[in-house]
Amino acid sequence: MDKKIRIYSTPSCSYCRMAKDFFEDNNISYEDVDVASDEEAREELVKKTGKMEVPVIDIDGELMIGFDEEKLRELTGVQS
Amino acid sequence: MEASEKYDLVIVGTGVSGLAAAIYAGRYKLKVAAIGGEFGGATATAGVIWNYPGAKGVDGYELAKTMRKQAEDVGSEIIDEKVEAVTKGGHCFLIETKKRKVLASTVILAMGTKRRHLNLPNEKELTGKGVHYCVTCDGPLYGGKDVAIIGGGDASVKGAVLAAQYVNKIYLITMDPEFNAEPINMDSLRNLGDKVEIITDTLVKEIVGTDKLEEIKITKNKTAERVLDVDAMFVEIGSIPDNAVASALNLKLDDEGYIEVDNNMATNVAGVFASGDTVNFFGDFKQCITAAAMGSVAATSAYNYSKTRGDLCSLHKKPAS
Repeated sequence: MDKKIRIYSTPSCSYCRMAKDFFEDNNISYEDVDVASDEEAREELVKKTGKMEVPVIDIDGELMIGFDEEKLRELTGVQS
Repeated sequence: MEASEKYDLVIVGTGVSGLAAAIYAGRYKLKVAAIGGEFGGATATAGVIWNYPGAKGVDGYELAKTMRKQAEDVGSEIIDEKVEAVTKGGHCFLIETKKRKVLASTVILAMGTKRRHLNLPNEKELTGKGVHYCVTCDGPLYGGKDVAIIGGGDASVKGAVLAAQYVNKIYLITMDPEFNAEPINMDSLRNLGDKVEIITDTLVKEIVGTDKLEEIKITKNKTAERVLDVDAMFVEIGSIPDNAVASALNLKLDDEGYIEVDNNMATNVAGVFASGDTVNFFGDFKQCITAAAMGSVAATSAYNYSKTRGDLCSLHKKPAS
């Protein structure tokens, strides 16, 4: 899969971990941005979504707020 | 869409109760699927759990993952899809998600609960823009800021202890005269000193902000009013039963909307069992351990019931070709 994936997450967010588990279980590479420690990334997050919530998953510019496995399968093309 | 599969037992919900039921049912060698859209349920977002026997200081999501592996190791399927409907035909059940329909001889409902909201004006509009329902998820986003946490139980107290690692100041607000949390959690809270201001007998009256939360107005004993300038408000005021599926099956519900069950987790509908936070078996005492215990009882009851039924009813049974 050639899509560029970036996940904005915090260390204690379990939905973030579910998303990362999904990527790892399906051998999908992604960039993990810890917005708890990175203020610039936090501002970027709010600019992109207008909200302060995680996880936010950016797949080639298409944003997903929260973890929805079915939608993630759709966006990444991973079959169930 | 035709039913794709037939199970001895389908468990609706993949929180701790559903997963515990899946472990037991798998060991009973039933053909089992646990189906749910929110893997891990409330446990997954509970942060570190210290009071589950045998699992010392385990993250809730990791605990749920271990249970999932245990269930899958004994042949139970865990399907990550939201159950949209459960209908009864004859003495069998049709369970539907957006992607599949399956049949089952018995069903365990373990859907858990939904988070309770304040139901104040502006609350919905500012959700995600300062109003949040999960401190473990979104607390760390407010590094250096002032936040309010609303609620008087363990969730809000533990949330304050977690948030204190990041935020500048916490207003911990409860409508009751005192907190109803484990003493050990209250000790951790007191150790935070001035970082936390504890406010009792107080309600949130107004949520103020346009593009984001700017302040909340609180009222003590319905008399004195105070304005708190906060960047976030976390609502941890408990939960309400998720009973849409139960209502559609004409299950008997109690006055608060929880499914009524007997000591074997059986409902008033033959073949339907319920467990976990979706029942009120232990009242307000809703814990991982009670949910898991009820799941195991429900699975045992479903197993005993299935021995009296075994196969599909005449409505669903296909003639041998």
